[in-house]
Amino acid sequence: MDSQKVDMFIMANGKFFESHHVMQIRDRLLAVDDSKWGMIQTLQFKDPTTSLIVSLLAGSLGIDRFMIGDTGLGIGKLITCGGFGIWAIIDWFMIMGATREKNIAKLQQYL
Amino acid sequence: MTKIRLYLLLSIACVAGYAWIGVQLYQDRFTDTPINACIVKHVTGIPCPSCGSTRSVLSILKGDFWNAAWWNPFGFLITIILLVVPVWLTVDYRSNRSSLFEFYLHAEAFLQRKYVAAFAILIVIANWIWNINKGL
Repeated sequence: MDSQKVDMFIMANGKFFESHHVMQIRDRLLAVDDSKWGMIQTLQFKDPTTSLIVSLLAGSLGIDRFMIGDTGLGIGKLITCGGFGIWAIIDWFMIMGATREKNIAKLQQYL
Repeated sequence: MTKIRLYLLLSIACVAGYAWIGVQLYQDRFTDTPINACIVKHVTGIPCPSCGSTRSVLSILKGDFWNAAWWNPFGFLITIILLVVPVWLTVDYRSNRSSLFEFYLHAEAFLQRKYVAAFAILIVIANWIWNINKGL
């Protein structure tokens, strides 16, 4: 793919991925066929900041985990009062990274 | 979610669950001050959807199933998980298979279906309203 398009994608979506993944994503995108550009450009990613807000407000109900698609973990958090409150606090620090991992998994499906 | 992470998490959760029940049983017998862990209840004064599930599990231990259902029906779910998961983990570990992980992925996909998810959310909210009404 055109390096200009790839840089445009990175600029627009860089905040959705872990910093150590960005270079890897760039290399993979450069190797990908141009016909995939339309699809990759329209992919919607989850915003880590939004999941952090949800985690702060409703973390002990597991809604942050449900939101990023970890339904099993969400139920685990819900039926244990947020893991006795401990897991809920741990997730305030983990949820942004978890969201970025989910985003890269989603992108990898299309690469 | 990888297999090792799930199994590690489940092991920690089971150990924590049994430890918690142990603490509650000890407290039940030797002291009078109840231990309250729920952050939601501490902060807002409103019980959360899973408040009462410890008391429910303790009622199940005493064989008092009606009382358990009154405290919180989630107690049955937690009891089943606490009984089944350690056995399943051991079997998977001994036979070097990943049947629990596969089951987890299937269950997750099932729960993410639109109507199943809506039904589950309704149940949780109904239970929450009941919890608030009971004033747990």
